[in-house]
Amino acid sequence: MKSVFTVSFAALVIGAGTVAIQPALAHHSSAGFSDGTKLVTGTVKEFQFRNPHSWIQVNVVDESGKVTEWSVEWGSPNQLGREGIRPSTFPAGTQVSIKLRPDLTGHPIGIFVGAKMSDGKIVGKWSDE
Amino acid sequence: MTTRFLAMGIALYASSVLAQTPTLTPFDKLPDWSGTWSMMGGTVFDRATQTGKGGSIDPGVREHPPYTAEYEKKYAEHLKLRDEDRYPDVQTNCGVPSGFPRILNLPDAYEFVVRPDVFYIIAENGGNTMRVYTDGRKLPGKEDTWGTYTGVSVGHWEGDTLVWDTVGLKGDRDNDSILDRTGLVISDAAKITTRMRKINNDTLEAKMEIQDPKALTKTWTVTKQFKKGKPGLFLYDYGCAENNRNPVDLVTGQTHTLGSDGKLIK
Repeated sequence: MKSVFTVSFAALVIGAGTVAIQPALAHHSSAGFSDGTKLVTGTVKEFQFRNPHSWIQVNVVDESGKVTEWSVEWGSPNQLGREGIRPSTFPAGTQVSIKLRPDLTGHPIGIFVGAKMSDGKIVGKWSDE
Repeated sequence: MTTRFLAMGIALYASSVLAQTPTLTPFDKLPDWSGTWSMMGGTVFDRATQTGKGGSIDPGVREHPPYTAEYEKKYAEHLKLRDEDRYPDVQTNCGVPSGFPRILNLPDAYEFVVRPDVFYIIAENGGNTMRVYTDGRKLPGKEDTWGTYTGVSVGHWEGDTLVWDTVGLKGDRDNDSILDRTGLVISDAAKITTRMRKINNDTLEAKMEIQDPKALTKTWTVTKQFKKGKPGLFLYDYGCAENNRNPVDLVTGQTHTLGSDGKLIK
């Protein structure tokens, strides 16, 4: 799997339209995050469309019923906003599957790669190609 | 005879005043750099010498400036820490300016404001601002210069090219000014000459010649390019402290992550 940070201009697909976007820039090294991706499926608790980075909070329920809140880091709203992302892109209560580069220490943190909403809408990089 | 001396005196005075009064390039003779711009490529400062795959935060990525042995050693230490996720960006705690030349190496959008007397770089990221005076003033002397993040810059127009010199940079003096997240630095002895021009309707180019007797063995030339944004684009403020969920442990250098409730996750 190609790291999202290795792509100068990753493809961002929203519905039928495709636009270019610069990679999300974390405030830290990517050394603490896997190069591979993990899929988490759950309910959007909150989309923090704020600087310096956006965060998607997703509640994931495991087989025993335990709820874990995942924090998924993305780009700045300035950057994302110009590419069509809005505070309403991830409404609270929406079912969503998110591909992320997980934290290597096992904490429920990841760097956003792509998402598939319950209505089939794709945001970010979803295919493996 | 007295009249002749008087006339000569007036002529000498007038030429002296004229010599001291700079000729500003009028607005209609200045190039059009209006609109919004974004840096092309990622935030590796010197992409021409980059080795390793990825961006500035990816382990293994580095650049190859003509460093002295002392600064190569320093850079190698920064790279090692970066690879261990223990070299946080100096901006992580918010409020530290990007400084120059890093201000020409930022994501998000830019505005380049051209006036007869001054040129402004306004970077949305940060937000960061830099001034280049083009009103004919000279660079201040050493005694009148002290290290700041963006230093002091004066420039002039050579046709459609803005040429400016920058001195008075703090460089790595206080370990809070870097060129990119690989840990690239210059020293407080650096002098940078920048030539900026439009290479076509949609592209601006800034070519920087960096001289630094402490950090470099020879002049280091780095070129950055900027693509014009779509008309009508809005730019926004960038409050780093608004929702910074990555505070840094100043002892270990590790970057923490806070949850949505502000509590520490790791």
